[in-house]
Amino acid sequence: MERNVQKTGLVNLATAVVFFIAAFAVTAFVNSLAGQATAIFLGLGTLVTLVSWFQMRLEENQRLEKLEVEELVQRRGETTLFAEQAAEVFPAQRARQQFEKFFVPGFSVLLLLLEGGGAWLLWRWISQSTGGIAPDRAMPALAFFGIFALLLFLVGRFSVTIARLENHRLLRPGASFLLAGAYVCFLTALGIGAVKTEFSQADAYLARALCLLLGLMAGETFVTLLLEIYRPRVKGHVARPLYDSRLVGLLAQPEGLFTTAAQALDYQFGFKVSETWFFQLLQKSLPALLLAQLAVLLLSTCVVFVEPGEQAVLERFGRLVPGRSVLDPGAHFKWPWPMDKVYRYRTDQIQTFDVGFTPDAQSQATQTILWNVAHTGIKEINFLVGNRGTATVTNQTAEGGSPLKAPPVSLIDISIPVQFQITNVLAWAYTNAESSNLLEDLAAREVAHYLAGVDLNLVLSRTRLEAAQQLRQNIQAEANQNGLGVKILFVGVQDIHPPVTVAGDYEQVVAAGQQLIALTNAAAANAIQTNAMAGATAFSAVAAAEAARQQIELSSYARADLFTNQITAYDAAPAVYRQRAYFRMFPAATARARKYIMLTTNTQDVLIFDLEDKIREDLLNLNVPTNSP
Amino acid sequence: MKRNLLTIITAAVLVVIFVLLLFVFQVRQSEIAVVTTFGKPTGIAEPGPHLKWPWPIQKVYKFDERIQNFEDKFSENLTADNINLLTSVYVGWRISDPEQFLREFAGGSVSAAQNMLESMLRSSKSATVGKHPLSDFVNVDPKQLQFQQIENEIQQTVQGELQTNNCGIQIEFLGLKQIGLPDSVTQAVFDRMKSERQVLISQAQNYGASEAQKIRADADRRATETIADAEAQATRIRGEGEAEAAKTLPVFQQNPELANFLLRANALQQSLNQKTTLVFDQNQPPFDLFRSLSTNTPAH
Repeated sequence: MERNVQKTGLVNLATAVVFFIAAFAVTAFVNSLAGQATAIFLGLGTLVTLVSWFQMRLEENQRLEKLEVEELVQRRGETTLFAEQAAEVFPAQRARQQFEKFFVPGFSVLLLLLEGGGAWLLWRWISQSTGGIAPDRAMPALAFFGIFALLLFLVGRFSVTIARLENHRLLRPGASFLLAGAYVCFLTALGIGAVKTEFSQADAYLARALCLLLGLMAGETFVTLLLEIYRPRVKGHVARPLYDSRLVGLLAQPEGLFTTAAQALDYQFGFKVSETWFFQLLQKSLPALLLAQLAVLLLSTCVVFVEPGEQAVLERFGRLVPGRSVLDPGAHFKWPWPMDKVYRYRTDQIQTFDVGFTPDAQSQATQTILWNVAHTGIKEINFLVGNRGTATVTNQTAEGGSPLKAPPVSLIDISIPVQFQITNVLAWAYTNAESSNLLEDLAAREVAHYLAGVDLNLVLSRTRLEAAQQLRQNIQAEANQNGLGVKILFVGVQDIHPPVTVAGDYEQVVAAGQQLIALTNAAAANAIQTNAMAGATAFSAVAAAEAARQQIELSSYARADLFTNQITAYDAAPAVYRQRAYFRMFPAATARARKYIMLTTNTQDVLIFDLEDKIREDLLNLNVPTNSP
Repeated sequence: MKRNLLTIITAAVLVVIFVLLLFVFQVRQSEIAVVTTFGKPTGIAEPGPHLKWPWPIQKVYKFDERIQNFEDKFSENLTADNINLLTSVYVGWRISDPEQFLREFAGGSVSAAQNMLESMLRSSKSATVGKHPLSDFVNVDPKQLQFQQIENEIQQTVQGELQTNNCGIQIEFLGLKQIGLPDSVTQAVFDRMKSERQVLISQAQNYGASEAQKIRADADRRATETIADAEAQATRIRGEGEAEAAKTLPVFQQNPELANFLLRANALQQSLNQKTTLVFDQNQPPFDLFRSLSTNTPAH
């Protein structure tokens, strides 16, 4: 029987070694992160199986030694010899004790370091890893890990059952690792399958979960080592090996959880809940239920619902299904995965991409878009456009000393949304590997081509609508030529403007135009005023002349009439008339003049008149400003 | 026993599935596959299901048979007229000979093929750009643009290289996706664009001042003309008045002495103003009346 234990242990060891190497090779073949974690897990299991097998051999040696001693005692009938010199007489026993005392704790520490270090390194590697599972190799890898899972399950299950027997406890650590390894391999196969069915992150998520498992195992080993220091040593009590992980055991035999749960429920409810029919059914039929669930999942792949606005392409074993290659919206039946596969495409739905800019949510929320304010979060491309102006010499100089000329081109920023529909889904799916990227490239090419052949000022203003129509036609023609199977619905030339750096100068030109109008309007207003006042002045002058003429004429005639009458009066009394005329005129004529009358004429006095005008007193008091130094 | 049977059936099904996965492979409608036996290409697999020996005896290399899109880097080259120009091109290429492709590129690596394609593209693009002036790329006259010709030249060069090297790749189309200028030249273009705007700004501002001045000068001229016309007309009118007044002169000729007296009296009246100082003696009428006063009787 003991021989069988050793053989089973050896088989376990061989199995662990083979599947560790195989898992490592397949992982390298498929580049799976979860496969890497699985290989590490199996590697740890290999070490544990090796140590446990070695310990089994030591125990076997001790057992044989004990039998030999007993035989000798029976033949010679003496016991004192062996009682006094036990250390020398029982080398196998001593070797086992030394092994358990020193090697096992040391190995457990090494196991702790490997588990912890493996978890940490693997976590870092997952974070930094950019590659993924090679699509071509996913299916073989899935198959390999599935086969590993099955074979490990068979060997592990057998070993776990054997390990329950008396004196077979050392089989348990390795057996648990093998059985848990089977489950881990199965999970890895599922993860690879999920990646194949477009859940691309499944492998990475599973790898992280396995990292956590390794971390938990490290934690458990650490706690076990800590408790080992304070564990009471009872003679005759066989201790559980330090490297025998309870966590791995629980993972290998999850039914233990059921037992624990049943005991807890029994205790809590006060009767044997674990003996009810439901609990029994659940315990017995859980694997069958899980299998049924998988079967339902597989059957669900026989029905496909194509959403409104979509079309699906149906492939059977990779080939298009004649007569059913394109599925319209609605429910359709098909063979289960992986025989039939559908690939969905948004055909009726209008799809949009942008040329010249990358929109973001913040820019969509902006209510005002200005030329001279950089659009937040948008990366705009400067397109080259023609320029009718002449080149300008810049300050830079070329190598020969000749001045560099700014190229006779201008730059422009433009936002062009392009909307399209897929009209021929087979052409879209099977002509080009990346049809949407190609369509974007074609649109970018047409935009660059169109702008390179137009004048900046024209495209900024008058030819914008023509540009949109021309671009739509050109992109459609290119798409047709490349067999994309799309219809270009709309090409919008929006938000077209000079680059932000020069946009302010464009606005200043508009402002200068307004200033021009303002200046000429002010001058026109002034001219109107000047001309109006000149007209008034002219009218006044003419009117004054008319009045003067009237006055001259009338006064002349009046004076003539007066003079005619005065002649009569004068002829009647010439002297009196002259005197009267004189005295009538004299008061009026001298009224405003200053008059001095000399009444004494026969004196010798000299009269002096100061007829000088007095200067105004306020003018004499003026303060003359002085220049300060 | 019943449970064991279920377990055995499940295990058998799983084994069959996993074994099938090792012996069967599918090739999609868009793919073509090369099957190798111990590393040597032994067959081409068309779309559909196929059998094979498991790895590592046979390996299947699947390739996308559709046109694959590849875009090179936005790289700088010198045009024929010595202007630095940035260009990027996109290429549609397909695997025309899968076996040859597998031989040329380790494991049929598409990325390795694209790396080689990029090297060829850069070389060809650089040579082609150097043959053409900037006006072939950007021109206000669309007929002068040489986009299509430039694309054809690059494509022909790359296709020739591929055929010479027998890579199992074929170029289906090639297009210039983007053209641009390096930052330093872009800044120079910005400066030039600004200067052009400044010319327009100056033009508008000074044209405005000029026009305003012209309008004012014209207004002044017309005002002066109007006033001058009016003054001339006024002079004529006054002359007419004088002429009309002159018709009354014969009346005064009837008594020239009286007329002369009246004119002098009138002139005297007009010529005396506030600042005139007159000194009279007592003999001057009407001040001679002072002589008859007793206080003013001359002393004897």
